[in-house]
Amino acid sequence: MSSRSREIGPELTLVTETTSAAHPTGGPAAHELDWTIFMARSQRGDRDAYRRLLESVTPYLRSLAARTFQARADVEDAVQDVLLTIHAIRHTYDPSRPFGPWLAAIAHRRIVDCLRRHGRARGRETSIEDEHETFAAPEANLQEQASDGRVLRQAVDELPPGQRDAIRLLKLEGLSLKEAAVASGMSIAALKVATHRGLKNLRKLIGDPKGKT
Amino acid sequence: MISTPDLIESLVARAAPVRPLRSPLARSMGWLLFAALILALIVLSHGVRPDLGLSLRQPQFVVSNLAALLTGVFAAVAAFMVSIPGRSRNWLLLPVPALVVWMSTVGYGCLTSWVSLRSGELRLGDEAGCFAALVLTGAPLSLSVLLMLRRAAPLNPTPVAISAGLAVAGLTAIALSLFHNHDVSVWILFWSVGTVGLFVALGGLFGSRMLAGAPH
Repeated sequence: MSSRSREIGPELTLVTETTSAAHPTGGPAAHELDWTIFMARSQRGDRDAYRRLLESVTPYLRSLAARTFQARADVEDAVQDVLLTIHAIRHTYDPSRPFGPWLAAIAHRRIVDCLRRHGRARGRETSIEDEHETFAAPEANLQEQASDGRVLRQAVDELPPGQRDAIRLLKLEGLSLKEAAVASGMSIAALKVATHRGLKNLRKLIGDPKGKT
Repeated sequence: MISTPDLIESLVARAAPVRPLRSPLARSMGWLLFAALILALIVLSHGVRPDLGLSLRQPQFVVSNLAALLTGVFAAVAAFMVSIPGRSRNWLLLPVPALVVWMSTVGYGCLTSWVSLRSGELRLGDEAGCFAALVLTGAPLSLSVLLMLRRAAPLNPTPVAISAGLAVAGLTAIALSLFHNHDVSVWILFWSVGTVGLFVALGGLFGSRMLAGAPH
């Protein structure tokens, strides 16, 4: 695991040796004493202290997670995972020891876990972003083929009249055989024959190598 | 997905008081006391091997068992230490020197009594008794250490489980040497290395999964 944990970036610097003077801007070490006190109170059931603790570690956790994840949702996911773990194992914190290393170890571990989960998910899933709004078939993405509809209509116009009507009614307008028979005045059998011949001719006209309709 | 402030509120609402775990050192000492109790019970019920007094005068026997004991004690301390988030992982190295000494005495014993291996008679009946001692000691020790470590819910269970396995192995090996006479070197090797291998492998394979199942 140590080799994995090294992958996620620089080591956490939240250690006991770091004094608050080294972080005049109020980095995590500056809060550490507060956090230690809040956590000790939280263990005794002080909800106010617990709320303040969780609210004040969240930005720190977010900045840690942001080193690993870019997407905001992933960062929040990791932060929430760490918060849930803090809650579940808050009894393992020893109030006589600094809070920083305890928190950092949990954060580190959970971020690595999130990273693994994302890695696994990436292997199975493709996320659909705005720019991916298209279809999976490669043909669908080719701009030239957008004119296929026009080509088809032209080809239908070139068919003999009986076949043209049959194709229009049955294939383009989607009528049933019975409805098409009423509309065109042709018998059902004649319609079937005309459709069959019409499709054959269309294939020839459009020149589809695969011969699909 | 629930928003982070909402999550914090729901956690705060569920923030019942908790009793902090005792220090890892105290917990490991507690477990070692329990192990001593188990060993004492087995000695009381089964008695020790007849030639134990004689063996205690052999430096190799004493060094080997002392090293096994230290391996067990240090590995237990290491397991309890590393199970707490934020403790240094260097604790895992604590049992290594004792383990090296223990394994070298076993290897040395094998070399020096190579002759006795050829002339010695292997009594398989004894090995069944050995196996019983192994299970009688190993099972309660493994179970208890697993339960105690589960309470700490280690974030990284595999090294913790392997350390715990080593702790159980060291103490079980002492139990074996109290009850069974392994003058035939190949059986010393088999039981010592086998015990270490068995419990470390059990720890690595199953312990980590059982510890990982702890609430997060």
